[in-house]
Amino acid sequence: MSSLATSQDAEREASSLPSQPRRSPSRNNASGSETSSPRRTRDNLNGWGFAAPFLAFFLVFLVWPLLYGLYMSLTGKSLTGANDSLIGLANYAEALADADMWHSLGNTLYFTVISTVPLVLVALVMAALVNVGLPAQWLWRLSYFAPYLLASTVVSLFFSWMYNPQLGLINDSLAKIGLPKVAWLNDPNVAMWAIVIATLWWTVGFNFLLYLAAMQNIPAQHYEAASLDGAGAWRQFFAITLPQLTPTTVMIVLLQVLASLKIFDQVYQMTAGGPSGSTRPVVEYIFETGFTGYRLGYSAAISYIFFGLIVAVSVMQFFITRRRSA
Amino acid sequence: MKQFDFFAGKQLPGKQVSRRQLLAGTAALGSVLAAAGLTGCGGTASAAAVRDIAFWHLLSGGDGIKMQAMISAANGANPGFKVHPTVLAWGPPYYTKLAMASAGGRPPELAIMHASRVPGYAPGGLIDPWDMSLLAEHGVTAESFAPRIWDKSQQNGQVFSIALDSHPFVMFYNTDVAGKAGVLAANGQLQEVTSPQDFLAVAREMQKVTQAHGLSFGYLGSGSQMWRLFYTLYKQHGADMALTPGQPMKADRDAAVESLEFMASLFDDTVAAKSGDIGTGIAEFARGGSGMLFSGVWELPTFKKAGLPVDAATIPTLYGTPASYADSHSFVLPRQLNVDEEKRRDVYKFVSDILKGSLSWAEAGHIPAYQPIVQSQAYKELTPQIHYANAADIIAYDPEAWFSGSGSDWQTYFAENVQNVLLGRDKAADGWDAFVRRTNTLLSRPNPV
Repeated sequence: MSSLATSQDAEREASSLPSQPRRSPSRNNASGSETSSPRRTRDNLNGWGFAAPFLAFFLVFLVWPLLYGLYMSLTGKSLTGANDSLIGLANYAEALADADMWHSLGNTLYFTVISTVPLVLVALVMAALVNVGLPAQWLWRLSYFAPYLLASTVVSLFFSWMYNPQLGLINDSLAKIGLPKVAWLNDPNVAMWAIVIATLWWTVGFNFLLYLAAMQNIPAQHYEAASLDGAGAWRQFFAITLPQLTPTTVMIVLLQVLASLKIFDQVYQMTAGGPSGSTRPVVEYIFETGFTGYRLGYSAAISYIFFGLIVAVSVMQFFITRRRSA
Repeated sequence: MKQFDFFAGKQLPGKQVSRRQLLAGTAALGSVLAAAGLTGCGGTASAAAVRDIAFWHLLSGGDGIKMQAMISAANGANPGFKVHPTVLAWGPPYYTKLAMASAGGRPPELAIMHASRVPGYAPGGLIDPWDMSLLAEHGVTAESFAPRIWDKSQQNGQVFSIALDSHPFVMFYNTDVAGKAGVLAANGQLQEVTSPQDFLAVAREMQKVTQAHGLSFGYLGSGSQMWRLFYTLYKQHGADMALTPGQPMKADRDAAVESLEFMASLFDDTVAAKSGDIGTGIAEFARGGSGMLFSGVWELPTFKKAGLPVDAATIPTLYGTPASYADSHSFVLPRQLNVDEEKRRDVYKFVSDILKGSLSWAEAGHIPAYQPIVQSQAYKELTPQIHYANAADIIAYDPEAWFSGSGSDWQTYFAENVQNVLLGRDKAADGWDAFVRRTNTLLSRPNPV
């Protein structure tokens, strides 16, 4: 949540909107309405009342698990309940020396890099095409966005069939044009790309929608003025559209990196981390060590190492985008 | 519907109450209409005595239908209790949920597990031992089981699982194809095959008939499939494997490498397809695209339904020692925080009833564990089941460790290191050594059970 707020702040700053007064009391004072103390107390109570359901949810399902998980990572706790004594940082030491942890972390980062780039670029191209004013706009919007509404199970099953080496549609099409068959989900060199393709098809619609909305907000006068100055379509795209989209791009990249780091569902269902562990993301490794390997304490330690990584990436991105927009 | 079983069981015996009916009934409470609506409510006192027993299992498809029929028969014969099955997906989803439910102390009264997974559950106290004297009251004793299966049911001198069956990895073959290939013996069954070369020769003869492949074996992406065949061949070398936490894995490297090399030699697009997953392999055999299939006995109903001229046998003994990878669906008692003694007695009765009715389980392809069924005339008339019934004497369960067994991550790790060997990309020795290293890492870590 905090990273989302960060991105919105960045966006607000980048779009150089006049800064809004943030605190409501100052606004009250500005408007000159005097608030009596009982009134304020009642307001406060009402405020807490409205916030209570969320706060309760937040405390029970976020703060408590976060703290408990941290405690668990310092114990040898197992799913069977055996050995929950404190063992200090032993789990962290073991994780840092665990080649499989590093391998799965590497897979997650690899997936994040090779998925984020096409997920942003393809969304941009799709939005630009639709924004140009193709006929039957609703059809394009629908067909680009519709896959996003499907459950990951459906998408995974669908692509598993398409990728089937013997009976799949993709290899069948390749064979028809004389190309060799590809073991999409069974070749360690190809499997991650196969998952990226499936993910691209499934989720690019969301980025597409954000880009399209941003494009449609660019004032028409800019283009009008540019065309009077003799700028062609390409020139307009690079000189007006792209710069105007910067805040949106920053936000999309940030959201996409965070979403890609959390990759699990598709991989678990399409390859279960195989072949040869080449697609196993760190979240799956956490699941395996904790739930099928029973070692909850150890899996909590890996979770916190991963958590640290995500925080580091978010902070890094925050500073990079702040410098760029400053 | 589950939440309304209370009403179905106690208020309106024999009736299922739908949500709509329930809402209608609630709205009408206190009115004359309510009285009219509940006139069918008789015999409440006797119905209240029915005890509900939760039973989790992982049997789906044809197996699930058979199990449901067996449960219904047992429920019908025992008015004192009603067993409610919950079916969960095979593999990690099932075992994870069962472990968590047991750790929380509120699991079902009864569950099915693969016998090979018991070593991961019993030491940590996730399951309770069986009281054989209670089972003996219903006529089930140690003598009711074949020796190998009975041995497997014990951990540290206590009985932790009661086997329903053993389900070995076997060889199905198409008798039409085998007949045309001239590889049938005088008794109509496949001729004896005693070496890897023999086997390849038979497969090639069959390939000449099918013009596709001699053997179907789908393995891509499936650690279980690769492990089942590998372990069968490995055990046929007379070799053992031991996994002791804190010590390196003990195994016969030469036997392992030879087994893997033979497996890799199968996938040459003549003997068997170079790359195929389980579904492709079964489909190919079912449509007559090959003469033989290596698979679990549970596939038998599929081929019978397809009208295939199918027979079956244990995997041929290629390395001198008859052996066959297998596991057993076994009943276990997940640990309860508070044991309801009456329900537990019902569970014993239910299990004994299911064992005694396991002839129908044999129809699904499995070898019943309960010996009186195996020795019955009815079972001897089941073909091809009777042709691989000898597997019960040669079955090999997974080496015991908290991380081994059916549907375990260990089998996935096997696939990770061996799939490239089968695809011809890695050397068998390299794949095996990498798997041993992975296993040694697991053995070196703290034992969580």
